[in-house]
Amino acid sequence: MSIRQHISDRVEKDDRPPLFSLSRREFVKAAGYAGAGVVLAPALSAGCQVASHPTADPYELEMAFLALDEARSAGAAYADVRVQRTWSEGISTREQQITGVRYSDSYGIGVRVLVGGSWGFSGTRDLTHDAVARAAREATAIATANNKIAPQTTDLAPVDTYPEGNWVTPHDIDPFDVAVEEKADLLFQANAAALGVNGVRFVSSSINSVKENRLVVTSEGSVIQQGFVRISPGMNITAVSSDRTDFQSRGSVADPAGRGYEYVLGLDFPGNAARWGEEAVMKLSAKSVDPGLWDLVLHPSNLWLTIHENIGHPTELDRALGYEANYAGTSFLAPPGEVLNKFRYGPDFMQVVGNRTECGGCATCGWDDEGVPAFEWAIIKDGVFVNYQTTREQASWISDITGLSRSQGCAYGQSWASIPFQRMPNVSLLPNAKDDLSAEDVIAATDHGILIEGRGSYSIDQQRYNAQFAGQIFWEIRNGKKYQMLRDVAYVTRTPDFWASLAVIGGPQTYYMGATFGDGKGQPGQSNAVSHGCPISLFRNANIINTA
Amino acid sequence: MSDFTFSKREYNKHCLNEARQLASTQLNGMKRAISRTKRHGLSESEATELSERILGLSNADQARIRISSGRRSFARCADNRLTTAGGSMDISVEITSVFGKRTASVTTNLLSDAELTEAVQRSEGLARLAPENPEYLDEPGPQYYDAVDAYYDSTGEMEPDRLAGAMARAIRGAKEAGFVASAYVDVRAGSEALATSNGLFAYHASTGVALTLTVRAQNGSSSGWAGDESRDWNQIETGRIVADAVRKCREWQGKTALKAGLYDVVLEPTAVGMLMSRVMGAFDARSADEGRSYFSDPAGGSRIGEHLFSSSISLSSAPAHPYGERPPFDGSGTPRRPESWIENGVLKNLSYSRFWAQKSGVEPRPSAANLIMRGGNVSLSDMIQSIRYGVLITRFWYIRGLNPRTISYTGLTRDGTFLIENGEISRPVNNFRFNQSLAEVLQNVEMLGQPIQVAAGENSSVGTPVIVPSLKVSSFNLASVSDAI
Repeated sequence: MSIRQHISDRVEKDDRPPLFSLSRREFVKAAGYAGAGVVLAPALSAGCQVASHPTADPYELEMAFLALDEARSAGAAYADVRVQRTWSEGISTREQQITGVRYSDSYGIGVRVLVGGSWGFSGTRDLTHDAVARAAREATAIATANNKIAPQTTDLAPVDTYPEGNWVTPHDIDPFDVAVEEKADLLFQANAAALGVNGVRFVSSSINSVKENRLVVTSEGSVIQQGFVRISPGMNITAVSSDRTDFQSRGSVADPAGRGYEYVLGLDFPGNAARWGEEAVMKLSAKSVDPGLWDLVLHPSNLWLTIHENIGHPTELDRALGYEANYAGTSFLAPPGEVLNKFRYGPDFMQVVGNRTECGGCATCGWDDEGVPAFEWAIIKDGVFVNYQTTREQASWISDITGLSRSQGCAYGQSWASIPFQRMPNVSLLPNAKDDLSAEDVIAATDHGILIEGRGSYSIDQQRYNAQFAGQIFWEIRNGKKYQMLRDVAYVTRTPDFWASLAVIGGPQTYYMGATFGDGKGQPGQSNAVSHGCPISLFRNANIINTA
Repeated sequence: MSDFTFSKREYNKHCLNEARQLASTQLNGMKRAISRTKRHGLSESEATELSERILGLSNADQARIRISSGRRSFARCADNRLTTAGGSMDISVEITSVFGKRTASVTTNLLSDAELTEAVQRSEGLARLAPENPEYLDEPGPQYYDAVDAYYDSTGEMEPDRLAGAMARAIRGAKEAGFVASAYVDVRAGSEALATSNGLFAYHASTGVALTLTVRAQNGSSSGWAGDESRDWNQIETGRIVADAVRKCREWQGKTALKAGLYDVVLEPTAVGMLMSRVMGAFDARSADEGRSYFSDPAGGSRIGEHLFSSSISLSSAPAHPYGERPPFDGSGTPRRPESWIENGVLKNLSYSRFWAQKSGVEPRPSAANLIMRGGNVSLSDMIQSIRYGVLITRFWYIRGLNPRTISYTGLTRDGTFLIENGEISRPVNNFRFNQSLAEVLQNVEMLGQPIQVAAGENSSVGTPVIVPSLKVSSFNLASVSDAI
C-alpha cells in the first residue's frame, strides 16, 4: 500500500448522479451565465461513506440569481453570491454537571462584486426579494465608490465552471442526529473516570458540532452546493496540590476533525480519561525543566500547530505581499521572486503539501468559495519552498514567477456575513517515505531530548520568525528512552533554524492530523477551520526555556 | 531623534464630564436634526415586541431571550490600495428554556412566526433532554439599571464613502512619506436586549468604531502603527493616526541589534492596554476560591483586601464611561455598576457569577464591563528622561498565557521599539518576545501618564473599551529577540 493510501482516504471521483433536478438545471440555463469551459459532471465527490448529497434549495437559487442580476445591472463586472446556513451545537460540562447546552442557526446571503478593480460586499440575514436585491445593489455601490476613490485593476485567474457542483463532508453519523443526552452521558462518564484519580479536582469537557450548507453561485456560471460537518471534542483536567500552592492541567486531549460523531466515539474519552487525569497529577510533582539545548521529539498532537504557525501562515501570499500587515502581519517568505523555488526550508526529505482533499480535514471541501475545485499541491518540495497559497485574484500577482495561471483554491468566508479571502487549506508534513519508523524508533534517535505531546501556549511574531511553543505533557528522553516527566517546558525557535534542525521523521504509522476551528485572520476577523497532518519528528538542539 | 511626546488629544483637554456634557448636547442636537434617520438595530419597542412574541410561544417553566441586532461595516486598505469594503446586517435571538434546573439555549436569525416557534420548541426539547444543572438559578425579575447612552449618531451614520475616505487619507499620508499603508476601519451600530419570563427587560443601543493604520517602508525594513477606538466617530483622530504611524515608521528605520534581557521600559498606552486586558480576565472569585488563580489565598478563599501591587495602581470599570460605554447589565441580567477592582494597590473586589455569589453569601458582580486604569501626570518624554538604559515599546502582538498562578504572559513587541540611553531615545532596535508576570508589572510601575482610550484588540476590531495611561515599568523581561518587522 502506498503512503498516501495508508495515511488517509482520499477524495476520489465517483459516478454519483448529479444533484440538480431538471427544473433547476433549466433554471441555471435560463439564467444564461454559463460560458465556455463548462464542466458538466461533478468534479469531485466523497470517497468515504456518504449517506446523501446536499440538495440546493430552489428559493436560495432564485435569490442567488436575483443578486447576480441586480449586481450586473448595477454595473458589476463579476459577482459571486454565497447563501450559507450554519448550525452549531455545543454541550459543555464540568465535573458531574452540565454547564451549557447551546444550539445556533445562522442563515443569510452575502454578495461580493467587482466594479473596475474594486471589491464591494454586502450581507443580510433577510432573504426576501427586496432585501437581497438591496444587498446586491449596496455591494455594487460600495465597489463603485471605492473604484472612484482609488481606481485599480484586478485580474481573476481562469476557472472552469461547474453548473451542478455538489459535495458533502464524508461522515457516518451526523452529530445532529445524536441526542444531547447521549453526548452528555459520554462526557459525564469521562469526567467520572478522571475524577476517580486521586488528586484530580476539576474536569471540564465539551463536544461542539458544526454543520453548514453553502451555496455558491458565480456570475461565470458555477452553481455549487456543499454540505460540511465538523466536530470538536475537548477535555481539560486539573489537579490541585494538597497545600493549594500549585495546580496543573492536562488539556487538548483531542483535536477537531471534518468528520461525524463516529470520530468522537473512536476517541473513547471514558476509556482514556483516567490516564489523562493521572498525567495531570504527575505534572504536580514532575521535575521543572533545566533550560538549555535539548533535542526535541514533537508528537503530531504538538507539531501540527507549529506547522500551522510557521509553515501555514508564512506561505499565505496575501501576507507575503503586505495585505494583512495591519493585523496578522506579513511573512519572512518575501518578496516572492527571491524565495520561490529558492528558499530552503529544511532537509531534502521534508515534503509539505497544501490540500482541500484529505479525508477528515477541517478545510476539506469540493470547491472553494470562488468555485475553484479542491486539489493537492506542493508547498515545500524536497525541502525547498515552491508554492504560496492563492485565490483567483492573487494567482495573477505572481504568475510571471510561478508560471501558474490558476488559483490554488484558497478562498473562504467564515459565514454569509463575511467576505471571502485567502484562507489556509490543510497544510501537512508528509511522513517518512523510505522507512516506516515508529514513535519508539524516533525517540531512540536521541540521548538527551524532550518529548512533547499536545498543544500548549503558543505565540509567534508577525513575520513568523520567533516562535515560543509549549505543550501539555513533557517527557525527558535519556539514552533513547522515555525517562521521567518534566514540566514548565517551552521551545523558542527561529523558524528557518527550527526546520533546518529537522533530523528524523516518523513513518506513516505515526501520521496524525491535528486541527483548529479558530484560525484567525482578516479585518473584520474571521475564523477558519483547518487541519494539519504530520508524523512524529525529531529536531536537534532546540532552545528550551523554563516557563514557571 | 525627534520628540517622542505622545501627541495630546482633545480627549485629554477637558475633564471627562465636560466632554461628556458637550458630546451629549451635540448628540441630542444631531438626533433632533436628523430625526428621520433610523438607527441601526432594533429599537426598544421593536425589541420589546419581539421578545414578548417569543416569550408568548414558550411553554417552559422559565425562559430568557437575548436579542442582538445591527449593522457592521468596514473598509480596508493595503499595499496603498483599497482592498475590501462592505457591511452586513443581522438580527439574532438566543432563546433559553428552563424546566426545573434543566436548561438549553437556541440562537437563530430566522424570525418568522413558524421559525421562531420551531426554535422555541427546539430549545424546550433540548432543555428537557439536558441533565440538571445544580448551579442553575431562577431567571431574575425586573432590575434597576443605570442609564447608559452609547449610541452615537456620528458613528451610526457612517456611510461607505466616509469609510473609504478614511482609507484614502491613510494611503495619501503614507504615499507622501514614500511608505505603504495598511489600514482598517471597523464600524458597529446596533442594540442588544434581554428579557425573562419573570418580567425583566433590558435594552442597550450602542455604536463603536476602531481605526488603525500600519505604515511600512516599501522594502519592508520598517513598520509603524497608530490607532484609535471609541463609541463616537468624532473622537477618532484620523490626522493624528496618519501622522503618528508615518512618524513611527520613519523613526524605526535602520533598526539595530539589542540583546534580550531585563529592561526598564516605557510602555505607550496601547501596549499597556493590551497587557491590562489580560489582567482584567483574572478578576474572577470562583477560580480564586478554587485555588486556580493568582488571587487564591493558599489558606483558602481569595486575597481580597491584600495590598498586592504598587500603591499607584487603581483599576476600575464604569459602564457609563464617556466614549467607552458598556451595557449596564450582563448576559444574565445582573446590573453592571461602577466597580473598583484594584484601589491604590489593594485588591478590592473580584467578579462573582450569580451562582458563586449566592454560594459565597455576597451580591453578584459581573465581570469587568470595561477597563479604566487611573493615571498620573508624567509625560512620555519625562518618563524617557528618567531612564538611563531602557526600551520604549509601541504595542504588542500575539499575547498568550503562560501561567495563571502568576498572570504570566508571552507576546512580542511590534511597530516601533526603541532604545533609551541617558534619558533620550538613542536608536531603533529589534523586536522582542516578552515572558512576563503581569502581577510583577503592576508591582514594578514607577510612573504613570494621562489615561486615554486605546485600540487594544489585536485584530483592531471594536472590542471592550480600555482606558489606560502610558507606564514606566522596571525589570521587564524581554526574553528573546525577534527578527520580525
